[in-house]
Amino acid sequence: MILETPYMFLSVVVPMVISLIFPFLDLGKKAFATISTVLLLIPLAVVSWLSYVSGLSEPVLDPVFFAHPTLGNFTMLLDSISAPLAISIGLVTSMISWYSLKYMDHRFEEMEEEGHKPASWGVYYMLYILFSAAMMGTVLSTNLIEFYIFLEISLLPSFLLIAFYGYGKRERIALLYLIWTHVGALAFLVGTLILGLNVGTFDYFNPIKAVANLGLGNALPEAIRFPVFIAILIGLFVKMAVFGVHIWLPYAHAEAPTPVSALLSPNLIGIAAYAMIRIAYVLFPADFQALAPYMLGLALLTIIYGGLMALAQDDFKRFLAYSSVSQMGYLLMGIASVTALGMAGAILHYAAHAVGKALLFATAGVLITQLHGLRSLSKMGGLAPKMPLTASLALIGFMHITGVPPSLGLWSEVLILAGVANFAVKMNQFVLVTLFLLIGIGLSTAYSFITMRRIFFGKPSEAAEHAQEAGGNLLIPMIVIAAVGLILFLVPQLLVDPMVKALAGLLG
Amino acid sequence: MEYAFLTWQIPYIGAILALLLNRAGKVRDVIAVLAIFGAAVASTLTLQEALASEEAIHISYPWIKSLGVTFGVYVDSLAAVMALIVAWLSFLIAVYSLKYMEGDPGLTRYWFFFDFFVGSMLLLVLADNLILMFLGWEGTGLASYALIGHWYTDEDEKCVGDIGRKALGVPMWFPPSHSGLRAIVFTRLGDVGFIAGIGAIYYFTHTFSIPEIAHMVGEWAGPLAHAGLLFPFLLIFSLGAFAKSAQFPFHEWLVTAMTGPTSVSALIHAATMVKAGVYFLLRFSPIFVLAAHEIPAAEPQVHAFFTAVALIGGFTAFFMATQALVSRELKLILAFSTASQLGYMFLALGAAGLIAEFPMGFLAGFSHLMSHAIFKASLFLVAGAVIHVVHSRFIDDMGGLWKAMKWSFLAMSLAALSLMGVPPFMGFWTKDTIIEVAKESGVFLAYLFGVVTAGLTAFYSTRMVIRTFLYEMSENVRHAEEHHHLHEAHPLMLIPYLALALVSFIVGLSWPVYGPEILGAMVSNVLGIHEEFHPHVHLDIGLLATSLTMVFGGMLVAIGLYMTSSGRVTVRSLRENPAGKVIHDFLYDRWYINSIYYIVIVGGFAWLSRTIFKYFDSLIVDGFYHRFIPWLTDRLSVLGFKYFETEVVDETYHDRIVRMFKAFGSYVRRLQTGLVNQYLVAFFIGLLVVLFLLLWVG
Repeated sequence: MILETPYMFLSVVVPMVISLIFPFLDLGKKAFATISTVLLLIPLAVVSWLSYVSGLSEPVLDPVFFAHPTLGNFTMLLDSISAPLAISIGLVTSMISWYSLKYMDHRFEEMEEEGHKPASWGVYYMLYILFSAAMMGTVLSTNLIEFYIFLEISLLPSFLLIAFYGYGKRERIALLYLIWTHVGALAFLVGTLILGLNVGTFDYFNPIKAVANLGLGNALPEAIRFPVFIAILIGLFVKMAVFGVHIWLPYAHAEAPTPVSALLSPNLIGIAAYAMIRIAYVLFPADFQALAPYMLGLALLTIIYGGLMALAQDDFKRFLAYSSVSQMGYLLMGIASVTALGMAGAILHYAAHAVGKALLFATAGVLITQLHGLRSLSKMGGLAPKMPLTASLALIGFMHITGVPPSLGLWSEVLILAGVANFAVKMNQFVLVTLFLLIGIGLSTAYSFITMRRIFFGKPSEAAEHAQEAGGNLLIPMIVIAAVGLILFLVPQLLVDPMVKALAGLLG
Repeated sequence: MEYAFLTWQIPYIGAILALLLNRAGKVRDVIAVLAIFGAAVASTLTLQEALASEEAIHISYPWIKSLGVTFGVYVDSLAAVMALIVAWLSFLIAVYSLKYMEGDPGLTRYWFFFDFFVGSMLLLVLADNLILMFLGWEGTGLASYALIGHWYTDEDEKCVGDIGRKALGVPMWFPPSHSGLRAIVFTRLGDVGFIAGIGAIYYFTHTFSIPEIAHMVGEWAGPLAHAGLLFPFLLIFSLGAFAKSAQFPFHEWLVTAMTGPTSVSALIHAATMVKAGVYFLLRFSPIFVLAAHEIPAAEPQVHAFFTAVALIGGFTAFFMATQALVSRELKLILAFSTASQLGYMFLALGAAGLIAEFPMGFLAGFSHLMSHAIFKASLFLVAGAVIHVVHSRFIDDMGGLWKAMKWSFLAMSLAALSLMGVPPFMGFWTKDTIIEVAKESGVFLAYLFGVVTAGLTAFYSTRMVIRTFLYEMSENVRHAEEHHHLHEAHPLMLIPYLALALVSFIVGLSWPVYGPEILGAMVSNVLGIHEEFHPHVHLDIGLLATSLTMVFGGMLVAIGLYMTSSGRVTVRSLRENPAGKVIHDFLYDRWYINSIYYIVIVGGFAWLSRTIFKYFDSLIVDGFYHRFIPWLTDRLSVLGFKYFETEVVDETYHDRIVRMFKAFGSYVRRLQTGLVNQYLVAFFIGLLVVLFLLLWVG
């Protein structure tokens, strides 16, 4: 289905353009928050509506809004593979925009007390919208250059958000984040440029025929094909923060202002996993297959390593950041199975992780605002009686990342593990892989529920004495996110059916 | 009709209503209980329907079509009887909870998870496909986590174990939130195996449907058998069952699950959760046997699997019973007992796969599940009432309660006699069949475990009844009596457990007459069992003599030790004797297995986590990227800069790599200056240049 008006493109770009005048407006913080939330609800509404209308049974495309003989076509694509990402991004960014009002109010006060003069509300929301809408643009892209541009646009505001409003040595960490993601982006760009200039197009999805350009990379000369594939892969690995190139993530995600962490951690880094399928697999299916067993090993290593590191943390946000590393391992594992089940599971886990990790970072934010910036797990404990709603939301968050029903995470876990089991049987390594899964999932379950206990259960800590539930401005957005995760648990077929079909088509 | 759907759906609806009626007090409680009652009625109608029909009832609706995941029920006689047991027991326990939990501040949470628990259990019993079954399976995991940790503020009186006691330096008391954590971590480990197994079956059959995988057994078991993988596969697939049913080495979580309200313990031990593992084997072992029949190559591997099940079951039965011998906590004795009895059920099912008449072993396990559910629910509920009255979980604080609580005493005695396997109680018939099939299986060790455990069971059960009701009154009880605090339980609590105890007695009494009929109905139509089987009740005199000797022996020793004054002296001297103390501590500290787990596994991972974080992640990885590389590039760029200043026109200088390093190095130098804006401008310009270049090239 090709739309007559580029609704998706407009829904991404219009909020961005409007946001550019924010710094010049003299509005109250509530007005900014409201406008920003509404603006971010637009892309969510558009992708939800298009998903509903098409049933995701066929790709929905904007008309091509930019065409060039070398660069190819720029347009936007919503299909069963991009929809779960687009919807999660729309949901989390709009709800966290609302959540930001109360949280950033606290952060502004804190910074002023420290003698800093933070950039204004207008700047905050401008950057926030640019960041959010650019992520949406990235997942809807059909062209390598288009993808890259949106990725760059998402990078810059997130970098500034950390630099302006972050914690600790925020400027240093922001720069560190920028350099790291650029190293990844550079590898990706180099690979992309060599590929595109050689094969004559940068489209990974052909918007005219509405099919993926499967095996486009095979047109490259033998000698450069594999290095190009590796360059793209490395770029995505850095972005995803898999084991070995993960070290930037705990800094950036822990020290970013919490609403930004809630976007960075599940939404942004997971896009690289999506690109693994949409770009790396589609362009180089045979090389991808060949490397799959190694990627599976890397995935298992990342899951276990991230889990172990999470266990060692005392800072709640750093803990969540390492947990994200581990969760990226699950995404990679599903993808590395090169089965429709596993890949669908990975995409679904993007959504489940988005719900779960957004809830958990939002929980961290609630604790920071309610308990005077408290982030140390060892100083928490026994908070559940005072904050039962927050505790329930955090539990729902942990359920999403560990795959406990009734959460969407159950489905992604089932699909990923079934896909991996398929792959392992095929590789004749069923017992070995199961053994590593036992350790990995055991660790994930342990760190999640241990942390739940450390924060909320047990005898009341000193911090619990004055604790009280946060207001609706923090909790209602969280409730909405949690509700979506729980509702999607009941109707997984809406996302899974078209996705499995599309992926089965890709995998042949 | 679709009663089977209603059976598991009504409790879920009840759970949601309990949440919505958060502030409705009693109304919420009653509605939550009524929901379980609704499930019980629906399960009865389902059973009626299932027995009337020749074939299994299989109703399914498409759910996730692309994967063939259906929203359906599969009701054969196994599922129908199981659902009936679960639903009615849960209902009685729910009624008991109405009074037992009265006034608890977390009642909404309690009822939500209670109904959720029952719904999940019924779902896993009735599901027609593996995914739906797994869903219910995981649901019970969540509910047990929440209910075991119900009193999550961890007051000392809610703990299990002696506060302050350590074994090998590891604390041996567990607050509720810790126990809940243990339950979910232990059981989920097994679930990984379950889901991996599901994935492997799907690889071969492209279906999740349980009846389908029974029909297509050759297609998945065949290739696995030929690859020599069937034996490990079966173990991995059944790992969830071992963990859920607390079989060694996964038994530890069940012991500490006693921190939940007693009604929850009854629910976990009698009707839900731990029975799920046994149900799993009941559901799938016929299919495994089918594999052995159909594929010659599978036979030895299936045989090995069943031998392993029998041995693990037998060992768990014995090993947990030894720990019950010395336990001082009433609920803990019952918990050890449950794990031990579950071991019997595993033993039965393991043996079933090894004997000629599979259905006989199958029925031994299944009927023991039923009789155990009834008497164990009764025992736990009595324990709850007693603990309520004496305000202590320790049997040292009990004794002499029979006068004040005559009916409770009667209930516990009847149920305990059933647990011991004294004729003609229900437990006698079902346990003896297990020992019989164990003998027939030829796994002598497992049989030996079964026989010895019968004696141990009689001992600890008798000791428990005596120490609670008959032994001389403890300080605590005497004090309560003086203040007129001793009283019989409220009828809402008393009636459920008394009724269960009586059922256990009456059914046992009529077993020779109705037993074959009940057993026949249970096995009339089970997925994977094709041969006709006509159960009959018979007694093997030799075996009977052996088991009764063990039972009465155990009983008499307990009576001798705890009912006579010389016996009590003996007990005391045994405890003071150094050798006696070593044995006592070994059993009391659970064979030190808990401590070993904490030292090796928990401690090991904690050490790994700390060490790798400190020396690898922070020092090497972080150091390499964020100290070494910046230092290196800085040096390189400084050198390069000098070089550039002195020899401007040097061709080699324009080498790209150096330029890149220089750019990189200047980023790094900016780290210290924080001149972010300059960089941004440069960055934007760079981006534009790249774009223009591209356009121009094109």
